[in-house]
Amino acid sequence: MLSQEYTLEFLGDNLEEIVALLSDTKAEKIYQWVREILILNIRPIVTGSPKAYKEWKAHQLLTFRYPFSIGNTEYRILFVKVKNSVYIEFHLGDHKYYDKVRKNLNLA
Amino acid sequence: MIIYNPHHKKLLSGRLKEAEQLLAKIPAKYCFISGSFLYKEKYKDIDIFVVTRSKKEIALKTSKVKITAIDFNDLYSLFYHSVSKSCIAKNLLPQRPLKVTLSDYWQVINEAIPTLLNQKDTYHKDVRFLILYTEYFKTNEILDTFQLNEKINAFKNYRKVMDYIQQELPWIINRYAKPSYVKRFFYTQAGYYRDILYYDAQRFLYRLVHSIIGGING
Repeated sequence: MLSQEYTLEFLGDNLEEIVALLSDTKAEKIYQWVREILILNIRPIVTGSPKAYKEWKAHQLLTFRYPFSIGNTEYRILFVKVKNSVYIEFHLGDHKYYDKVRKNLNLA
Repeated sequence: MIIYNPHHKKLLSGRLKEAEQLLAKIPAKYCFISGSFLYKEKYKDIDIFVVTRSKKEIALKTSKVKITAIDFNDLYSLFYHSVSKSCIAKNLLPQRPLKVTLSDYWQVINEAIPTLLNQKDTYHKDVRFLILYTEYFKTNEILDTFQLNEKINAFKNYRKVMDYIQQELPWIINRYAKPSYVKRFFYTQAGYYRDILYYDAQRFLYRLVHSIIGGING
């Protein structure tokens, strides 16, 4: 029998505070979006960059983006999955955090 | 107050006054308002841009105001050149030469196509860079916010945007880039898409890459 370990990391400078602001409807929409990713209904962004991101190259990553807002503040989720692996990062943050992660991921 | 209006577009006079008052509240020398607030009775947001070195967040107690900070390093970008082309500014805005590469353009396409296919017909906000870059490389003209909105609204649906990219891109790339660069750069890109052709976005990009390479092969 084959078994595979998986790693899922939740990341963000103010992740818990933002989660506390989510209404049930918004949270349900996010769950639904993640489900859609898992059944390949959401298209990823794949950069052609050979630059490093942690222990991988940027082009080995599939990045899925979900924008939403609460009041006047815009937030982004970046769901990052390593190709052919079960390592996943779930980033949630405001614009500043999003721009920082995008830069690290070598996105435009 | 400085008015940048190269195309002599009719601006709403009441809004000019309002714009001046809003800009006066921004604690920065270089700030400006661009977008539909200046020329449309009905608008969604008031887009204020602030050129600043400060990391401190600026906020105004007006619900429709959206403030975007622009770093001095971004003054060379197509984005800055576009948003500042037609605007109301507190002072004369700093000018820097435009720096834009085909590689930047490809990154924009690479991100816009999956986003477009995810969003389907609610794409209008997400294709701004795609259209801005494509029109720049196609005509050598930087569209301002008025022109960009008009161009985006002229597309009937997201499929038409994809047709436009498919039609314009191969000859744009082949006009600007050397064949050796095109082969090296785009064969590498194709390799990254090949593994995930089960996604329609990457299938589209893979085919696009091949039509670009096909253009140099004759």
